[in-house]
Amino acid sequence: MKLLWWRKNKTRRKPKPMQARLHEITPPEGVPLRFEVAGIGARFGAQLTDIALCLIAVLAIVLLLAVGMEAPQDLVVSIAAISFFMIRAPYYILTELLWNGATLGKRFMKIRVLAADGKGLTVHSVVTRNLMKEAEIFAPGTMLVVASDLDGWSQAVTLFWIAVVLSVPLFNKRRQRLGDMIAGTYVIQRPVALLAPDLAAEKVEKTEAMVFQPHQLEHYGAYELQTLEKVLQARLAPDAPRAARERREATLTAIIDRIRAKIDYGEPVRPEEAEAFLRAFYNAQRAHLEQRQLFGDKRADKHHAEAE
Amino acid sequence: MSDAALLRSTRFRTEREDGWRRLEAIENDVERRGVRALSFEDARDLATLYRQAANSLSVAREISLDKALLQYLEALTARAYLVVYAPQESFGGVVGRFFRRSAPQAMRRSALYVLLATFVLFLGGAAGWLLYLEDAAWFQTLVPTGDGRGPQASTEELLSYIYDEDVGLLSGLGAFASFLFSHNARIAIFVFALGVFAAVPSVLLLFYNGLALGAFVALHVERGIGWDIFAWLSIHGVTELGAICVSGGAAFRMGRAVLFPGALTRRAALKAEGRDAAKLAVTAAFMLFIAALLEGFGRQLVQGMEARLAIGWGIGLIWLAWFALAGRRA
Repeated sequence: MKLLWWRKNKTRRKPKPMQARLHEITPPEGVPLRFEVAGIGARFGAQLTDIALCLIAVLAIVLLLAVGMEAPQDLVVSIAAISFFMIRAPYYILTELLWNGATLGKRFMKIRVLAADGKGLTVHSVVTRNLMKEAEIFAPGTMLVVASDLDGWSQAVTLFWIAVVLSVPLFNKRRQRLGDMIAGTYVIQRPVALLAPDLAAEKVEKTEAMVFQPHQLEHYGAYELQTLEKVLQARLAPDAPRAARERREATLTAIIDRIRAKIDYGEPVRPEEAEAFLRAFYNAQRAHLEQRQLFGDKRADKHHAEAE
Repeated sequence: MSDAALLRSTRFRTEREDGWRRLEAIENDVERRGVRALSFEDARDLATLYRQAANSLSVAREISLDKALLQYLEALTARAYLVVYAPQESFGGVVGRFFRRSAPQAMRRSALYVLLATFVLFLGGAAGWLLYLEDAAWFQTLVPTGDGRGPQASTEELLSYIYDEDVGLLSGLGAFASFLFSHNARIAIFVFALGVFAAVPSVLLLFYNGLALGAFVALHVERGIGWDIFAWLSIHGVTELGAICVSGGAAFRMGRAVLFPGALTRRAALKAEGRDAAKLAVTAAFMLFIAALLEGFGRQLVQGMEARLAIGWGIGLIWLAWFALAGRRA
């Protein structure tokens, strides 16, 4: 029992890649898709952009009234408040509905709204999340603007309200506002599809010695393989400066030393062969692991033997 | 090629890469110019290519350890999903459907909640009335005084508020704007927004609003100008108080979800009740907008008591007819 506990603990200490907040939805096709939840900073930026855009429109109306029609000041103030509401409410709802979940600010920050149920945004969800925005952001925001006219009790309530509303997204995994929860939506980073070339499809100038026996490929798992892939994908430009060249050479040599020690590979590897050696090892390792995977033996990382 | 070409995952990738690239090009097109700008062939192939990409992704997750490929397919499929399942709505369609079907249907489903909100409002009104009759000093406590109206004002002064002749575009616009910015409109918004907090604040607000109204009306009735104030309030108040009750109904639905979620989790219950509550909130906002028009322009232009009564209650009847009759299936 004690031994088991110790083992469990050990496997838990394995290196974890820096992971973004991913969240999974299952569209009707049944293949789960992972989306990266948008950060608070990006959402805040988008919100500020949108508010600024609406305020510019309000400013235009106010200027027209104040200068063009010489309306009295208190009238201008109340009309400004109303037109701000009458512009922003439809603005948010219509842009998110007609431009597929992104207001101009969200477009600018490369984020968008996603339906958590995997069935696409509905009118209802867009309307709900933006109506709640009135209660969450604009109502307390307006209170803040007139805060000096309020008594202490109202100020305290307003501050409490703002604190609660702002902390809700911080305390749930998908960074949902209250409105998002009711609408069943959340905001994601727009995915960027970039296809790097397949390392295994490229020709490797390997020497006779760069052949690996099955037992030498038993050590590593997918995590190490993909870390190596990341290193190899980061190619140097032909005209890279000397310093960069030397840094890469040092990295590769260090990796080769670790691998050689681990898999018990006797032949020395010359510096100019470093890239070729690693590619040859990558190809052999990937072929081996994919083969094992086909037989139901998925190896997440180098601790796979202990886990069994 | 070397033995690497035999890698199953590499062959898998080379065989399908053209299709993925095509899908990527379509996605870029849509993101730049919108779905409507797609050519016929692209639109036709989009769905197929999406399904193929989803299929590729699910296979690649099983057979491939090529991180570059996996990440690409994840993003490609995700983007295609976003394009394929984008809301296909037009502005006119959304608005038309709301007024023809969604709003009245939601109202009928929520009739009980709206009635309950109305009851709370009237309860407050009765309490305010009785309190005022007991002791006129209550007026100062209950009614938020913005102008000179109160027990100290003479009957003539009170009448002058009810019938004033200041008519003009700017003053009408000002009244319109100040209405929406005013006490009651804010009450309606808060009543709805506070529904999330178990509807307790909503009940208090409704009741309090009733109190103020009751005391206000009681003051005028005591002076013998009850019908005048009734007409003055009716022209926009039927719509306005209706809007407050509707948003109160929405608040009660959300409050019910929080207090009595039944078999659902509270979050799921809130989501379910939110469907109708949101529609009620939009309906209330629309009613408030109409009420603002009535108060800003109608009340200044129409000075006769009977006409005010007729307009106010006539429009009330129209609301009722809309809620009761529209959106029923044949």
